[in-house]
Amino acid sequence: MPDVKRVYETTFIVNASLDDHQIDTVIDKVKDLITKNGGEIREFVKWGRKRFAYPIKKKNNGFYVVIEFGAPGDVIAKLERHYFLDESILRYLSLVLDKRALAARTTAALLAAEQPAAEVKPEEAPKAAAPEVAAVQNPAGAPA
Amino acid sequence: MAYTRNSTSRQGDRRGSSQRGSSGQIRKKRTCRFCDNKEDYVDYKAEKKLQRFVSEQGRIIPKRITGTCAKHQRMLVTAIKRARHLALLPFVSDAVK
Repeated sequence: MPDVKRVYETTFIVNASLDDHQIDTVIDKVKDLITKNGGEIREFVKWGRKRFAYPIKKKNNGFYVVIEFGAPGDVIAKLERHYFLDESILRYLSLVLDKRALAARTTAALLAAEQPAAEVKPEEAPKAAAPEVAAVQNPAGAPA
Repeated sequence: MAYTRNSTSRQGDRRGSSQRGSSGQIRKKRTCRFCDNKEDYVDYKAEKKLQRFVSEQGRIIPKRITGTCAKHQRMLVTAIKRARHLALLPFVSDAVK
């Protein structure tokens, strides 16, 4: 297989009832697996504990981790197998980041960099948008 | 020929003025929010943003109501489904259960 590297993003949920250092070891295992198989981690974000929208394995909370990495394609299969076998990982999602997604990332990063200038905009946008949807939701049941 | 020409011109007229719904209310023309903001990717992690395009029961709101364009609606739908898989959004909200 030719050594084509792609940019991937993987999100997984660790059992939140474990201790913090136990969670860290679970996360480190995943990171090791990526780096040992010729991948390099570009971004690593711990979201921390979050409430689920619906229970998973009778649990209501989970520890979310997002890793963005560049790697050859065969890493994904190994990674997903690891996720499957590790019982403290409740859910996972791995995606290829295409050009469009990467472009959106860079623009978002640029916006975040010039935050003081752009601060007014994101506040205004949701306010203007919110009443529109509220007004819209009612007719949803009416037609047809 | 004359008939088709007539019907198209009529449609053009209707689009020009404000549209009327079946109940006679004047509806404003909706525009795609993603196109307006020039966003070319819908992220499944932005759950707050996605929540706007989901009904109270947790169903995806059709584009004819939100005004989202076809391209962005497709992206939106995959994003919502990914968010559901990660329990960021509900499949069915608690109120309905």
